Amino acid sequence: MISLISKRIWQSLLLLFLASVLCFSLVISAPGNVAILIAELRSPIVSKEDIAKVAEEIGLNKPLPLRYVGWLGDAIQGNFGISYKTGEDVGESLEKRLSITATLIAGGAAFALMGSLFLGFVGTLYAHRMPDYLARGAALISASTPSFFVGALLVYAFSVALRIFPTFGYGGPISWVLPWTTIGLLPAAVLSRVVRVGLEEAMARPYVLTAMSKGLTRSQILFRDAMPNIIPTYLSALGTQVGVMVVGAVVIEPMFAWQGVGELFLTGVRFRDFMVVQACLLIFITFFIVVNLTVDVGMMLTDPKLRRQRS
Amino acid sequence: MTFVYACRATLSKVPPLALLAIGAFVFLGIFSSWLAPYNPNTQNLLLAGQGPGADHWFGTDHLGRDTFSRLIVASRTSLVGVFLVLILANTVGICIGTIAGYRRGWTDEVLMRFVDVGLAIPSLIIALAVIGIFGTSYWNMIISLALAWWPGSARISRGVALNIMNKPHIEALRVLGASPLRIYFFHLLPGTIGAVLVYATADAGAIALAIATLSFLGLGIQPPTPEWGQMLVDALPYLEGDPRQVILPGLALTFAVIGFNILGESFALNRVPAPMSRRMLVSRRRVTASWKKVMV
Amino acid sequence: MTASQLLTVGNLTIDLLTARTAVRPVDGVSYSLNRGETLAIVGESGSGKTVMNFAPLGLLPIGVEADMSGSVSFDGQELIGASSNDIRALRGKSIGFIFQDPMSALNPARSIGRQIGEMAELHLKMSRSAADRHALDLIKLVGISDPSARMRQYPHELSGGLRQRVMIAIAIAAEPKLLIADEPTTALDVTVQAQILHLLKDLKKRLNMAMVLITHDMGVVAGSGDRMVVMYAGRAAEVGPVERVLTQPRHPYTMGLINAIPRRTDLVGAAFRGLPGVPPVLGRPLEGCGFAPRCKFVLPDCSTNRPHLAGTTDPSILAACPVVNV
Repeated sequence: MISLISKRIWQSLLLLFLASVLCFSLVISAPGNVAILIAELRSPIVSKEDIAKVAEEIGLNKPLPLRYVGWLGDAIQGNFGISYKTGEDVGESLEKRLSITATLIAGGAAFALMGSLFLGFVGTLYAHRMPDYLARGAALISASTPSFFVGALLVYAFSVALRIFPTFGYGGPISWVLPWTTIGLLPAAVLSRVVRVGLEEAMARPYVLTAMSKGLTRSQILFRDAMPNIIPTYLSALGTQVGVMVVGAVVIEPMFAWQGVGELFLTGVRFRDFMVVQACLLIFITFFIVVNLTVDVGMMLTDPKLRRQRS
Repeated sequence: MTFVYACRATLSKVPPLALLAIGAFVFLGIFSSWLAPYNPNTQNLLLAGQGPGADHWFGTDHLGRDTFSRLIVASRTSLVGVFLVLILANTVGICIGTIAGYRRGWTDEVLMRFVDVGLAIPSLIIALAVIGIFGTSYWNMIISLALAWWPGSARISRGVALNIMNKPHIEALRVLGASPLRIYFFHLLPGTIGAVLVYATADAGAIALAIATLSFLGLGIQPPTPEWGQMLVDALPYLEGDPRQVILPGLALTFAVIGFNILGESFALNRVPAPMSRRMLVSRRRVTASWKKVMV
Repeated sequence: MTASQLLTVGNLTIDLLTARTAVRPVDGVSYSLNRGETLAIVGESGSGKTVMNFAPLGLLPIGVEADMSGSVSFDGQELIGASSNDIRALRGKSIGFIFQDPMSALNPARSIGRQIGEMAELHLKMSRSAADRHALDLIKLVGISDPSARMRQYPHELSGGLRQRVMIAIAIAAEPKLLIADEPTTALDVTVQAQILHLLKDLKKRLNMAMVLITHDMGVVAGSGDRMVVMYAGRAAEVGPVERVLTQPRHPYTMGLINAIPRRTDLVGAAFRGLPGVPPVLGRPLEGCGFAPRCKFVLPDCSTNRPHLAGTTDPSILAACPVVNV
């Protein structure tokens, strides 16, 4: 067990390393002479000394491996350089924005969790009857609707027409409802299908006959016997959906004018602000690798077959 | 397993609704120039913001362009984009996956690490990063999406390749003296391409969604070429007054993706026993009614 | 029905309906079981013996419907036509079940202690901790080593024999009046088989339970049964006390089965004395006697007139063969 987990951790560290190399290579392979670009961004008229100064500043002259180590070392300390667009310290702005994005994703995940479990269980309890078809239809539509469309629809319905929720802005809990629903809807739909299919397969297993012979009702069997069997699969899918939500944040944060990491990343991409882009990228990738690791370890812990190695 | 046989076998299992949605999408995309009543780019500010009417079935957008025509031509934009990404991503993916599955050992390990990294990062983030570094253009979008999608294709083709390599007839071919190249091109590749194509079609929905999302962010298909995501974002400022222009492209995109999702679901569905329908019960009971019941 | 009769089956006919087929695995079967008695139901695979015991109690897989007629009376309660809730109330509490394959019958994601303790919570209205203690007692009762450690273990950590003991513990947890054991030893090693059968006998006596033992193994019948029913092609061929039926069978099929058992006096390399032919595939009910195609006493009438269970020269045995028993 411990050896399995530590092996998995080593794998993640290797992935992190490869990903960091990837990020780094992306940055240095940007077309055009970066120094000229940056110098031009600062002031319209550049001289050779300006370019040389910038080149020195970003260490263009050092050999690649050294630049990599320097870059990595800075990154670990939270020093991601200075945004070439705004001149702000990237690390500092990230700090503020992390909590906003975290709120968005945490809320979305909670919505997805509750929604998927509800839809999945209701569907299985009333399997092959109307509630099941309704639940599966709703899930299909929700999983196919692009997040920006969902956001637009929700804003139109609840904000513009009914005036219940604010159209945009990060404030108190009431401003969280629409963004959470928007970002959590697709994951809820996908996860509800995982639950539904998983439960149906679990209910077709032989131990269900044993459970019936014990005198349990169908819903009792569903919750006590079928559910524990879908936990590992659900966890894995949940991890994937967290990744999907981070992507969603890039689209949804600007839509609701939330200043989180996603919005920063998007701005960086729009203005080709390298420092911002690679900093956000590194944060995202680290987050995904950590999430995947957590999910895998969680699966190992909840799958009884892996818990004990002795026979 | 020939290509035609594989096509026919899979088509028979496709749910009709999926076939309808995807078929409509492909049909509209191919024949859009003939089906669109107006030129999608012709602006007429005098007619801007109209509702549906005899002239313009779905109304006009804020620049007076016919929405109906734009929706139809947008389907072609998506179709072409999805097609290009699929070709590119799967070519790379199949190559890398089959080589890894064929050679095993170090080649396999190294290639799969790259695939792992690719799979660990969600597709859109990769695409955005590449666009962020290299700039916004049609081909940058296609290439960045292909970069995002090849790891999935590689993983599947490696799996299929391993499966095929373990089959007895490969061993027989080796014994008979077939060269590795021959085995690879004539036996390994055809089988892999068949299986991957099946999964690729289900992925098409996600790619269409990605293109739309990028266009929504202004980083994908640039105006004036119509694209559903782009049309939606252009119409957003006018949401309060003219919600139609937001809803219509959104609906079009949703329907296309629904079709692909139904298709994808039908592959993954396991045949789990279900309770019998009333019709089946009645017909079975008719059979048993004819049997006699004997007293013992 | 007399006071000592726990289970009475009268002219039970079961039609199974699935999406693809309709079959009649049970065709007009009658027998009875007294309290504290072990009834062995013997037959080959496909003789309908399992369906006969599970269908009236609502234990059918999804996608299979059963149309039942006749009468199955348990402790004065008629099961045919009863509501599914009434039948469910009997399961576990009054009737315990032991299944053939303990590997798949236990839930791999739940601990042994929970799977057993659940019975006590459900039927004996115990609290969680009381139920856990009861489960521990049961684990000891069925002879599992290292009981307290087993409580937290999972099915995949136990051997086949231990898993079957767990199944038995679950079945007897609520002290039912009847145990239905479906081929409880078929999936186990021969040495373990004997232990399990011995355990069942022991528990039966201690808890004063009756048992229906479904099997295809004559050795199991001989060792554990009081009375037996021989099933063939969905019908009862012979019913009677085990000793008498095994020593003096009255139906050609039973005779063939017993004759086929190798004897100590057989020479090495001697031919097997099996039955010619194969049993009929279940489907529509057969004309006449099901065994006619393979029977060496067959007469022309046998293929048209279905024989009924009737008395024989031994008053305790009923056999469905008018040719052998005039």
